[in-house]
Amino acid sequence: MASLCRQIVRGNTLRRVLFSSASSARRGYADQMMPDPLEHATGMERKELLAMEAGNDDPFNMKVLKKSAGTRENPTLVPSCFDARIVGCICEEHSTVVTWLWVHKDHPRRCECGHWYKLIEKELP
Amino acid sequence: MKNFNHPYHLVDYSPWPLTSAIGVLTLVSGMVKWFHNFNLNLTILGYLITLLSMYQWWRDICREGTLQGNHTILVTKGLRWGMILFITSEVFFFLSFFWAFFHSSLSPNIEVGTTWPPIGIMPFNPFQIPLLNTIILITSGITITWAHHAIMNNNFNQMKQGLLTTILLGFYFTILQGFEYIEAPFSIADSIYGSTFFMATGFHGLHVIIGSLFLLICYIRHINNHFSMNHHFGFEAAAWYWHFVDVVWLFLYISIYWWGN
Ligand SMILES: [Zn+2]
Repeated sequence: MASLCRQIVRGNTLRRVLFSSASSARRGYADQMMPDPLEHATGMERKELLAMEAGNDDPFNMKVLKKSAGTRENPTLVPSCFDARIVGCICEEHSTVVTWLWVHKDHPRRCECGHWYKLIEKELP
Repeated sequence: MKNFNHPYHLVDYSPWPLTSAIGVLTLVSGMVKWFHNFNLNLTILGYLITLLSMYQWWRDICREGTLQGNHTILVTKGLRWGMILFITSEVFFFLSFFWAFFHSSLSPNIEVGTTWPPIGIMPFNPFQIPLLNTIILITSGITITWAHHAIMNNNFNQMKQGLLTTILLGFYFTILQGFEYIEAPFSIADSIYGSTFFMATGFHGLHVIIGSLFLLICYIRHINNHFSMNHHFGFEAAAWYWHFVDVVWLFLYISIYWWGN
């Protein structure tokens, strides 16, 4: 009995190691396909692909934000999925330093240069 | 995964770095014992621990990349840089052996008869098995490109065929080098010629074996649908490595087998 079990287990694991997609191994030689890239991807990789497909080439907000007018009424919007985010303000075009400031939820903040920033909630990718 | 908004892969705790360290320590201690003519027990244990750690660590990486989707574009860029830097370090590794070879062969010492190859050394005829090996490796470079184009074109079967051909050519090369070593009329102990020859070609042969295994893993992963037309960096890394091994052989052939003859 034990040896029979061992035989079955060994046979199955070997088969699983070599051809885990048993169906594709048994299907004809000619009709084997590569997986569809989007179907194949999962997790963050898939979310990234979906975002790009939807026209968003920066799903994690890694790129520099374009400043808006930056007045109190029309602040530059800073997306974040937390309650606060650090912003580096390039106060003028030729500035050689970056001014860092925290921007908190519901509290628009003004940089030394007069530019306003406001935190907005960001949907998770 | 609340508030997870970045493309980085924060890895989970893993026991494999620790077991790898234990494994290689055991292995090197076992080899010291072996070199001092004790038994092989500790060496075998070291191999066992190291191989198990390697298998499980890389298995986890396949799971993280393919089955958990942690390898975003940014993470893959990091993997690419990692492989580039690794191969660069390998280039310098082989550079040191070529340095030793040219140092010794360009101005041969009085002890070896001020001639290269040294007096009493019968080198291989470069136009026999070494030339065949050159052809085998260049052909394998072509077949791996065939496999790469197949995977980029979504062609499962041709990827399989191209990759399998490359692996078989790799093992064929290893077998021929094995025969050549058995037939060699000189050993690693026969003057600076034997030392530089076997150091350089031996490490190259080891790299061919590693490259063949890397490609074999890619083959098994391909059979198991781990790759898609834009998710196959493991294969690309193996291909880069294979080309590197190929180029090293060309330099070995030209300088050690042909010019050094
Ligand atoms: Zn500012």
